Amino acid sequence: MRRSTFFSFVAPSVMSMLILIALPLVAIIYLSLHQSYTQMEIKEVKTEVPLFGGKTREVIRNVPQPVLDDNGNGIQVWEYVGAQNLKNAIDTEGLSAAFKADQELETPRSFIKALFDEVRDVDFWSALEFTLIYTFLTTPIIIILGFGLALATNRLTERLRGPVVFVTLLPMIVTPVVSSLAVYWLFVDGGVIAASLEAMGIGKFYFLADQFTIRAVIVAYGVWYAAPFAFIILYAGLQTVPDDPIEAAIIDGASPWQRVRYIVIPHLSPLFAVIALIHIMDSYRVFEPILVFGSRVFANSVQYLTYYTLVFEDNIHKAAAYAILTVLGVIVLLIPIMIKTFKDQKAGK
Amino acid sequence: MKLKQILMATALTLAPIGAAAECSIEGTGEVNVISNFFEALEVLANEMKTCGNDGLIIDTKLTTDHKEETSKAFTAATSPFDAAAVANSSITLLQAKGQLRPLNDLVEKYRDKYNIEDGMLIKFGDDVAAIAFMVNAQHLFFRKDIFEEHGVAVPTTWDELLVAGEKLKAAGIEHPYGAAFGNSWELANEYVNLLLANGGTLFDPATSESTFETPEAIAALKMMGKLYKFMSPNAMSMDFGDVKRQLQQGDVAMAILWGNEASAMDDENESTVVGKIGFAAAPAMAAGGAPASTFWWDGYVIPKNLDGDPDLTFQVLMHAMREETVKANNDITLWIRSAYEPGEYTTAITDTVVNGAPPYPMNPQASLAHGALGENIADFIVGKESAEESLADATKAYRAAAKEQGLLK
Repeated sequence: MRRSTFFSFVAPSVMSMLILIALPLVAIIYLSLHQSYTQMEIKEVKTEVPLFGGKTREVIRNVPQPVLDDNGNGIQVWEYVGAQNLKNAIDTEGLSAAFKADQELETPRSFIKALFDEVRDVDFWSALEFTLIYTFLTTPIIIILGFGLALATNRLTERLRGPVVFVTLLPMIVTPVVSSLAVYWLFVDGGVIAASLEAMGIGKFYFLADQFTIRAVIVAYGVWYAAPFAFIILYAGLQTVPDDPIEAAIIDGASPWQRVRYIVIPHLSPLFAVIALIHIMDSYRVFEPILVFGSRVFANSVQYLTYYTLVFEDNIHKAAAYAILTVLGVIVLLIPIMIKTFKDQKAGK
Repeated sequence: MKLKQILMATALTLAPIGAAAECSIEGTGEVNVISNFFEALEVLANEMKTCGNDGLIIDTKLTTDHKEETSKAFTAATSPFDAAAVANSSITLLQAKGQLRPLNDLVEKYRDKYNIEDGMLIKFGDDVAAIAFMVNAQHLFFRKDIFEEHGVAVPTTWDELLVAGEKLKAAGIEHPYGAAFGNSWELANEYVNLLLANGGTLFDPATSESTFETPEAIAALKMMGKLYKFMSPNAMSMDFGDVKRQLQQGDVAMAILWGNEASAMDDENESTVVGKIGFAAAPAMAAGGAPASTFWWDGYVIPKNLDGDPDLTFQVLMHAMREETVKANNDITLWIRSAYEPGEYTTAITDTVVNGAPPYPMNPQASLAHGALGENIADFIVGKESAEESLADATKAYRAAAKEQGLLK
């Protein structure tokens, strides 16, 4: 193929990658390196607020008011702050304070425990803690569960497969916010699960009342939501397993488990890598259950922090810094899988 | 987490009642209005739409993300929204950034046509910054039947409420009290109510420095810790929609809730306790003190950078807020217009205000303080940290946010 032909073929995808991936990334980095605000000064202002029935209450307060330029418009400050937003996001100050605070403790064990408690008190690190727990718990579970479901479905008769595949995919079809709400309503006071347990005489359970159970519910939600994804990919993969080696294995007297272990799993191994890759990217950005379950005090996520900073602090620059940290976190988690895939490909050649 | 309300509300109230009357606004163009999402705003949005015709397009957007969208739109070169609904807290940053168009000229021009009352004008100095239509405050909701059965008097102070809680718990009521602790904004709001009633402040207005770590603040926060013991253990995941449901389903004997939810307690379609709920002013921190509540107004503002016609926009807003709308929807909220007839569902709001509940602080520092407190005080309430530690964390978060907004050096 001539070079120019090659370039004209790849140009559309290169362009779309530049516009849809590279440009937003650059914009986020640019935003995170700056800080902007309206210049304000504190002035005494008399305000009137309505009560009802025509009554009002007058309040005189010191309020920040905009500093105006010659045209009567507020002055916008846009300044380069370097890594300051990133530093604020990971809270380097809080972190170093955490290390200094515990110098007097005697045993190494109590030191580590106290240090861990201090570090967890910092927003970013506590969010990272649960994000990682969520990622590392759900990834293996969805692969095992999805694989089991795929094997089971594959043994069904042709007529049953269609409906079973459809039903299994349902959790993935439902919008995450809606399914998070559905799960939340199962567990809240008077919810189906809480009420059934009580009706069965097992007693009252408050699933949203402490860290362990609320985290368990969120992880269970994550598994329920993502397992169909692993299932459908592995189920498709199972259709490509060649019959010959399986037949040969049967003739050689291999047990069903040995057939799966020595023929099916090696055949599907690239798919396992793909599922792990995509699910890690997805689960590191866990957001909806955190938002819906409301218990940030028990479970927080890096993605939620980005949202919070944007919405409640109205600070797009620090939110951009959190977004960069999310991307970096995903990259770090993916490195081992990328290396493995790369090696496999090389070996395959 | 008002998402829950959106889903519930869209399912339940897709067909609000309109006070269908002719809208005779002349002019062509487009008027886009953004607002929060609750019943009174829905009624007003529907009223605005009646002004639409071939040449005049009216578009209303009701979303719980209104605050961010409004702030982004008003900061842009031109705002896609010609007006936005705001309240005490959300107006502050918009006003402080100089993004609001003073409405004095329009008020003068249309004062007679729409009978604009002085009580509806939100003034910063001489500028009319917003036109308000309703006020709201949180107050006490309680089960009249349960209180009577167990001989519990309606608490007027928080200490009395704790005693009542103890008594009800001893009588076998598992969760006597309910309040919205599950959403960080609402959690901080409960706290601010107690703090202000206890004589505390959020910040020093002269310097913008926070004043979170005072004895008043610690006492207010400790009160929340005590209240938590009378609430459902799941309370840290429950927002005000859940508290409303707890009351309606008879799960709690008393709760603090927004005044405009009062009529929903007697709605037979969703409530199992019709006629059993009483309403009273929010309790005070000390006997005879101001109720631990703040009062809020809701109104509309017009930005300086709108892409439409301010005159046309103003007329559409005023048409929606006219007296007929108030008369046709009298009971859904506490309207500011004098045409409003106070009813049984709003007396507790007026009692709360008359007894001295302050307006929610209309300063931009307050919203930042509110956010910082909401994300940090829960650690104390669930027993992860001491009150002092979690308030210190909130101070740190506030300082960072205020510096980034240019309020602190």
